[in-house]
Amino acid sequence: MKNLLVLAIALLLTACASVKKVESGANLVGERMSINVDGNWNHFDFPGSKPAQVWTMEGITIDELLVYSGIRDGQVMHQESSAGSRQKDFAFRKTMQTEEIVSMLEGVLSRDGSTFKLLKLEPFAFGGKKGFRFEYERIRKIDNVQMRGVGFGAVDKEELFALVYQAPRLTFFPRHQSRIETIAKAVSIQ
Amino acid sequence: MKRRQVLAAGCACCASMIAPRTWAQTTPDYSAPQRFQRPDIASDEGGLWAMMDREEKALRRSPLVLRDARLTGYVQDLACRLGDGHCPDIRIFLVRTPLFNASMAPNGMMQIWTGLLLRMENEAQLAAVIGHEIGHYLQRHSVDRLRDIKAKAAASQVLALFGLAGAIGQFAVMASTFAYGRDHEHEADRIGAYLMHRAGYQVAESAVVWNNLLDETRAREGNETSETSPLFATHPAPPERRDNLARLAELLPGGTAGKDPFAAHTAHLIDEWLQDEIKRGQYAESLVLLSRRIKTGSNPKLMQYYRGEVHRLRGQTGDHDRALDDYQAAVAGDQPPPPAFRGIGLVARQRGQKQDARQAFARYLDLAPDAPDSALIKSYLAELDS
Repeated sequence: MKNLLVLAIALLLTACASVKKVESGANLVGERMSINVDGNWNHFDFPGSKPAQVWTMEGITIDELLVYSGIRDGQVMHQESSAGSRQKDFAFRKTMQTEEIVSMLEGVLSRDGSTFKLLKLEPFAFGGKKGFRFEYERIRKIDNVQMRGVGFGAVDKEELFALVYQAPRLTFFPRHQSRIETIAKAVSIQ
Repeated sequence: MKRRQVLAAGCACCASMIAPRTWAQTTPDYSAPQRFQRPDIASDEGGLWAMMDREEKALRRSPLVLRDARLTGYVQDLACRLGDGHCPDIRIFLVRTPLFNASMAPNGMMQIWTGLLLRMENEAQLAAVIGHEIGHYLQRHSVDRLRDIKAKAAASQVLALFGLAGAIGQFAVMASTFAYGRDHEHEADRIGAYLMHRAGYQVAESAVVWNNLLDETRAREGNETSETSPLFATHPAPPERRDNLARLAELLPGGTAGKDPFAAHTAHLIDEWLQDEIKRGQYAESLVLLSRRIKTGSNPKLMQYYRGEVHRLRGQTGDHDRALDDYQAAVAGDQPPPPAFRGIGLVARQRGQKQDARQAFARYLDLAPDAPDSALIKSYLAELDS
């Protein structure tokens, strides 16, 4: 049943999504963040993906790089809940400390019932700003796949910039982790 | 299934439909059907069982299922005491999901989510939920539900998407996990209360379960019903169900609550369940839950630490003061939860109280040198020292 569900979601996403290649080299995301990539990245745009951009190398049901650029005070970090829904939205606040931002991202990533376990949280210079890096494990609720993830972020001029990459822990995450670390180190925030 | 059993189930269902106002006014009694035989695979019920068997096979492999043999065995034994001769057919799966939900499939697979276990205060409350689900199972409500759904028009769209096999699967899931009708819920409540009573539990605790959930939903938005709990999204209004259960408890007095055995089997998992609870971001609900647990005295230091976390993360006016009060209460006395010191340090750092922040962070690292965020906290200490 879960395979059917995943297939159905993939079909639905395909039906109303657009996919375009991410060009190698510098890519401006939003107004201020530039990401330098190599390899076969695709930008997968579908309803509900914003405010993040969703990039993937292996396919949207396998790995994803969430790109948050210029998230403003009060902005919700995912598709806003429909009117009448009582599920709380996770919104960025400009006064958030690092732990609060990571807790917010934990909430976003476990909003679908997935589990999230923080493995490491440390300082990191992201886009030349004072930022953070974190690693985590996640069991994806929809198909029970055990994921590994790594995230980077910083707040500059009261706006949040972040990258979060996750993939199945056994093959795909180790395959791409060093590439992601390289991308994160090369991010620039203007 | 034998014709006599079909008739019995049908009569029971009809009885509950024609007498919804009297079910809680007379002493309930219940005679369970014989153990169910596997239905013919060619029948709709057989198809439902087959789909649930496949679900169960997948669930057995799921990393979300708790591999805690002691706790699972404890809940399995509890279900057996309630199961009225159906014990060999009931298989318990405890699933790590921080929502209040339990369900039982027609093939005997019962799922209980950790968000529900977190909210149980004693064995009797858990027995109330399990008894209710067994009530649905014994009366084969999911089969009724399947037939009801099949009779409705939405099938054509699903068929177009998945074909016949997929459609049966969709029906199976909908029938087993989504809300039953009003009469089914009333009937399951009544049977559950009777099974509880016969197993020696306080039926009044079933009303407490609903009352506690009502408190949480009211705190969230001032509303009475919940979308986040499939168990809660049922046709009878929750206050009505709570009140009916309270009336049933008067007719079925006595029994025990079983607070200590429940605590003994779950205490080692409460911390993880609370972490999952807070990640939901449903701060108003979490505050009600935590305040209740502090009041009832169950693991108060841990509860106060987590209430402090909720206040800090919510970040509304006055929340940092509330967080600090809770953190301070959590660290008073022996065996303080180490992250409570981190909480004190974070609030103090944000307020520019360097000395307090420095002391609290240092204490946190002393107690939890290998904490996931130790590198970040060390950077804060370096910053405070510079």
